[in-house]
Amino acid sequence: MKHHRGTILALALLGSTVLPAFAADFSFHGFVEGAGGFRVVDNPSISKDATLGEGRLQAELSYQGPKTGRLFLKADVIGDGVEEEGKIDLREAYLDFSPQKVLDVRVGRQILTWGTGDLIFINDLFPKDFVSFYIGRSQDYLKAGSDAVKLSLFPGPFSLDLALVPHFRSSEVPKGERLSTFNPFTNRVTGRREKLSTRAPATNLENTELAFRLYRTFGSYEAALYGFQGFFKEPVGIDPAKRVLSFPELSAYGASLQGPFLQGIASLEFGYYDSREDRSGKDPKIENSSLRYLFGYEQEVWADFTVRAQYFLEEMLDFHAYRASLAAGAPRRKDLRHLLFLRLTHLFRYQTVELSLVAFYSPSDEDAHLKPEASYKVTDNWSVAFGANFFFGKKDSTPFGQLDANDNLYLRLRYSF
Amino acid sequence: MSKLGLVLFALFIAGTPAQAQKFPTATEILEKSQQAFYYAGTDMKARVTMELTTDTGKKRTRILTMLRKNDPKSKNQKYFLYFHEPGDVRRTAFLVWKYPEKDDDRWIFIPTLNMVQRVAASDSRSSFVGSDFTYEDISGRDLSADTHTLLREEKLGDADCYVIQSMPKSTADYTKKLSWIDKKNFLPLKEEYYDAQNELSRVFTGDKIEEIAAGEGAARKSYPTVTKRTMKNVKSGHRTEVSFTSVAYNVGLDDAIFTERSLRNPPRDLVQ
Repeated sequence: MKHHRGTILALALLGSTVLPAFAADFSFHGFVEGAGGFRVVDNPSISKDATLGEGRLQAELSYQGPKTGRLFLKADVIGDGVEEEGKIDLREAYLDFSPQKVLDVRVGRQILTWGTGDLIFINDLFPKDFVSFYIGRSQDYLKAGSDAVKLSLFPGPFSLDLALVPHFRSSEVPKGERLSTFNPFTNRVTGRREKLSTRAPATNLENTELAFRLYRTFGSYEAALYGFQGFFKEPVGIDPAKRVLSFPELSAYGASLQGPFLQGIASLEFGYYDSREDRSGKDPKIENSSLRYLFGYEQEVWADFTVRAQYFLEEMLDFHAYRASLAAGAPRRKDLRHLLFLRLTHLFRYQTVELSLVAFYSPSDEDAHLKPEASYKVTDNWSVAFGANFFFGKKDSTPFGQLDANDNLYLRLRYSF
Repeated sequence: MSKLGLVLFALFIAGTPAQAQKFPTATEILEKSQQAFYYAGTDMKARVTMELTTDTGKKRTRILTMLRKNDPKSKNQKYFLYFHEPGDVRRTAFLVWKYPEKDDDRWIFIPTLNMVQRVAASDSRSSFVGSDFTYEDISGRDLSADTHTLLREEKLGDADCYVIQSMPKSTADYTKKLSWIDKKNFLPLKEEYYDAQNELSRVFTGDKIEEIAAGEGAARKSYPTVTKRTMKNVKSGHRTEVSFTSVAYNVGLDDAIFTERSLRNPPRDLVQ
């Protein structure tokens, strides 16, 4: 919790100078949610069947001025039956203001998102919560907040977002707690008894992450350039001596283009990942540099039925150096990773019922993830969702293959106010 | 500019033969009607309350702010919609760049993910936020997609109306539409939509019309506005009542409002 204090203090300081000028415009909302989920297959490494079992109260406070300035707070109070603990999760806490007509500033904990992908990210190098996605929490929890300063500049012909993230926050990935996962130190799938630990980069000036997006529209088309300097958000570095996973240094450069194509919307995104601690690719403990491509297409096939397809290609650079340096017995990756994605969404009964299917399939890793979900907005306040996560894979070391024994069903009931 | 040229050329061609006639044609009446109903003023701002009622009387409510701006040089329009209620869509915003002759550009902002997403919008018959109105009903259908006939003139209540029949040239969500257009202000007072079995499927009614003044002194203008309207699905019994409040025209909305910036950070002096 130590890093939270700095943010809150900064917010309080800013707040005390700006707030008195605010006219009272205050709103309070939120929801209460109960969610449960359990494994439907035997998992030899985790005895607990429950993957999800929690009660959650979310409170959202917004306080805004007549012209500019807004203070926004969103926090969850959680009673977690799986972890057997109670906790408070400060999801967002930021101050918005516009010191210039062409400048918007957001300071504090905030969700940062950009890029063209649907659940596949190249230039969006901000923290995600994949565990929440795999156990069936609402999609609201796919992204985690960053403690950041974001400047958005709108000089006219183009727009620029610049984010400074002084405090590193990783993505949540399975580490053997709720979901069993591949352990690179023992080369097998492990659970709670051998859960993985990670070492985050220290918080100092040198480690401040920087990300930018430069974008504009050309008629109906949107183009963007991206840059990033910081760290991998997934633990793709291993330290066998200390048996911890780490987040190696990363710079990334990319571009995207999106617009109408045939009867729908097509998108292209590209990224070059420069793994700065292993530029030669000879260090098997650190992820190599790579080139990443994403092609997306979405179409509303008929009223209230939408199909989205994506193809993702990741090309590992310096593959020969990687292969030559790999330790005996370690799982061997391929130089190309192909990933196919499909999302089907059908709305019924005045859009109160939604049936959806999200599917990932990788022909190169020979693994897959299927996520069907049905949800119903019973009233404006009550909603219920029921779904499942199924994982398939031939090998224990691939992204979805390692989750093979974690197939689960889940149910959520929410009251919004 | 070539696109704009094409549009102007098409308008010119379409306009020429009609001008030679003394009495307004069905298409001319509908053009005036669309102008009065969808294009009034140079821009518009309103708070919109939609009440969705099922056949059993179960109600849902959507409250949103709507900003609309006309392109002065064409029939293109830009819309910005910001949702206040209900809770599950609060702070969600839509941006629509509307083109009469091709698919709209649409974006949605999902606040929980702070994400702006492009929305594929090929089917304009999709329901608008689960209501009985389609996207097309909200922003207007391309008049050249139907063949229009002036059937008769008759009184609807106290109002003298043109009754116009519109038959789609290709498959649409109706096979025939009858419109009652007020002769005085060209606003639609009633529309009947017929399905493939030639049975009445949906009925639109303009329930309340108010004069909304804009500008000062010599520049003062008044725009008759349908401030209360209903779309009823006759077959399912579901209906949607929409009321417009705080309506203002010629507000001077800047083009910059209709961009990604507003989706992420809505202009608060306009979106209250």
